[in-house]
Amino acid sequence: MTEGATTGTAAGLSAHGLVRRFGGATAVDGVDLTVPPGRITALVGPNGAGKSTLFDCLGGATRADGGRVRLDGRDITRLPDHARARLGLARTFQQPAVFPGLTVGENVRVGAEQRAPGTVRGLLGLPAAGRGAARTATTRALRLLGLEGVRDRPAADLPTGALRLLELARALAADPRVLLLDEPTAGLDTEQTDHLAAVLRALAAEGLAVLLVEHDAELVAELADTAYVLAAGKVLLSGPARTVLADERVAGLWGAR
Amino acid sequence: MPDTLGLGLDLLLAGLAVGSAAALSGVGLIVTHRATGVLNLAQGAQAMLIAYLLRELVVVRHWPLALAAVCCLLIAAPALGVLLEAAVFRPLLRRGAGPAETLVASVGVFVLLIGTAVLVWGTTPFGDAPALAPATVLARPGGHPLRLDTLTQLAGVLLLTAAIGLADRYTGLGVRLRAVVDDRRLAALTGIDADRVSAFGWAFGSFTAGLVGVLLAPYLLLDPYGLPLLVLETMAVAVAARLRSLPVAVATGLALGVVQSELTRWRPPGQLLPLAQALQANLFVVALLVAALLPWRTALAADRGLPVPYGRTTSAGVRAACLVLLLLPLWFRADDLRHALAVPALALVLLSTVVVTGYGGQVSLGQAGYAGLGALGTALLVSGRVPGLPALPAVPALLLAVTAAVPLGLLTGWPAIRRRGLALALTTLAVGTALSRLVFDQPYATTGLDLGRTALPGGDRGLYAVELLLLGAALLLVRNLHRGRLGRALTALRDQQSAASAAGVDVPRLKLLLFMTGAGLAALGGALTTLASHSFDPNAFDPVRGLLWFAAAVVAGVDSAAGAVAAAAALTTLDTLAGQGVSAVVVGVGAVAIGRLPGGLAGLAGRRRRPPRPVLGPLGRRVRARLTGGGAG
Repeated sequence: MTEGATTGTAAGLSAHGLVRRFGGATAVDGVDLTVPPGRITALVGPNGAGKSTLFDCLGGATRADGGRVRLDGRDITRLPDHARARLGLARTFQQPAVFPGLTVGENVRVGAEQRAPGTVRGLLGLPAAGRGAARTATTRALRLLGLEGVRDRPAADLPTGALRLLELARALAADPRVLLLDEPTAGLDTEQTDHLAAVLRALAAEGLAVLLVEHDAELVAELADTAYVLAAGKVLLSGPARTVLADERVAGLWGAR
Repeated sequence: MPDTLGLGLDLLLAGLAVGSAAALSGVGLIVTHRATGVLNLAQGAQAMLIAYLLRELVVVRHWPLALAAVCCLLIAAPALGVLLEAAVFRPLLRRGAGPAETLVASVGVFVLLIGTAVLVWGTTPFGDAPALAPATVLARPGGHPLRLDTLTQLAGVLLLTAAIGLADRYTGLGVRLRAVVDDRRLAALTGIDADRVSAFGWAFGSFTAGLVGVLLAPYLLLDPYGLPLLVLETMAVAVAARLRSLPVAVATGLALGVVQSELTRWRPPGQLLPLAQALQANLFVVALLVAALLPWRTALAADRGLPVPYGRTTSAGVRAACLVLLLLPLWFRADDLRHALAVPALALVLLSTVVVTGYGGQVSLGQAGYAGLGALGTALLVSGRVPGLPALPAVPALLLAVTAAVPLGLLTGWPAIRRRGLALALTTLAVGTALSRLVFDQPYATTGLDLGRTALPGGDRGLYAVELLLLGAALLLVRNLHRGRLGRALTALRDQQSAASAAGVDVPRLKLLLFMTGAGLAALGGALTTLASHSFDPNAFDPVRGLLWFAAAVVAGVDSAAGAVAAAAALTTLDTLAGQGVSAVVVGVGAVAIGRLPGGLAGLAGRRRRPPRPVLGPLGRRVRARLTGGGAG
């Protein structure tokens, strides 16, 4: 099979036979997974199951040792993470990763303005192309997550919950087609969690493909359409979220945690 | 044939002497790093200081050698280590400072100790450093002299390494060291006296440094720069061992020493001879470069950069003061103006550190190398020594040299794509050292490169005007780099590389841009230095100078362009008025204290960009009026 070959017109993100090894250990062992547009897909599993490694392989932070990753039918297996991001694949991190040297607004702006080129223009002191669009996208993302009031504050000053929202706002400002969220509700209070769930539902309804790693089983049951259970690097089972979570094997895994 | 073999054996024995000292230096560096998490760049300066002390006691004060050696090695050297730990590094590590910060502090110590040595003993080299063990020939097996000093040295290194290895394995010391380095607070909670453990590490590291200095000093002329530079080059040993494996370090040190010694009899014909001689004289530098450029697999490759406080802008007052400071020399007398010529040139070199390290968070200790490239290129072009090109006038030569230096930024930019923190710092230092030794310090560059009175309209005043013009253009470029989309992307890269990449910032490209810009700025500064002094001085761009400049940029405020200009003015003034060594001491004290002063001096002078205070809207004003009205009524 040649590079860049498409299999059908599968929209959203999909992985086929993904493998990632560290030395002798296989963290991700032949995972097949689809994240269709308009749906929320959840990835659950005990600690050490390989969820974060799988996430890194999908997002491009690490290169998979085997298998394929496709975004809207296009083979992106060999693309680095920034190139994937520019194609519409946005992600957040388990440890909220924001830029403390920038304000809240600037943090989001970084996400919004990476698609348009402009290094030479920037060096010459000229405004970057697509500046207006980036500004609009920034404002929209800030408003969506209720961060408008702290737009000009240093990002370093925010509490953990707000940092998660800020990270999500940065991801959304890039106008992504696929969103990968690593434990998006960790550190959020119930009110923020509810708000986040509502935002995610609305985004999915708009046609966004969402994949989330989540420990809160209730939230997964309530929010996700499909769930994948990962154990020891392999997909143990997958299907409609409620059915999967009700499975006794899964209960055993969660109990073991 | 037996003759050749015999010579080979003699050279092997001679090589073991240097090799064991290099091995010892590597062991000291690794033990300190393992015990404290600090890569002690100051080791060479400590070695130099102890060597000076021993010479002072033995040669000047006529102490018996044994007593003096005990005082220096077993009392003074460990005391210096403990002092450094308590005064400089403990506060930093308690605060949870990263490797980049402690690295800067060790650069500060390096600069400070060198400055101190210059102030106390001057820069005149001494050729009478005492040797610890006499070079008596013990035996002549097969006619080859087996010298006492070589034997004791070799035995000492092997015994010391074996002792560390045994202590590591059987006393649990190694585990305690590891625990303290990994998480000082957690280690303290489990009942480990973290301060004592790291004080021990420093005392031991300082002892080995002192021993290295005392062992190496008799081989060369003792001056404040030579020995630190030599010890810096022996870092090849520790780098090859990836700051971990003691056996690898010892084997590398001994092997390099022997190979270097054996190379002296390799005399290839014709054109290759100078190359072979350069390789022979600089084998440790070549090894350092190779070891640093090979892929790093250890966790060292992924560290945080220097912390820079949020959103500090230089106040208009400071900027205006800098401008006045720069314009003033145009009205100076000719002598003073000549000194002032160094200011814009040095400002450009410091500015390159601001861009690479301050804005982009990439610790680069090799900027002096790029300055030297610009200087050498300009000198070669002006004196017409580039084949195929006529002797060029000053300004075209300078522009051509700088243009050629920009792509050479890839020398450090390319390795920087996969490195951060200590690994990157070591790689850039290795590149800078290699440029200094292999490119600048060669016969073609050191002999007969006289620029004469290169024609610039207006003489020194004209040159100063050109310097100001170029500095202005560079400051404009740097400002553009720090604003808008590029500025945000750079800050994102500095603060959280993985998140920046995930947000779509093309991190490899940005790093290349950063290092190429830095190379261009430094090269411009170096080129102007050469034009101002009418000659090329390879020593002006050696790694020791580079470390001083780096420390100066950090002390002035590593993300402050105005700070770089002010620091250049201050350094030049100190060097002109106060004599040698004072500027190094001042910069060193500042760099050592940098842990208490994040953001440097510019952080003090600048004002913090405050978020706008919330202001009452129309409704709020009405409510307030009603409330206050109600309260009064």
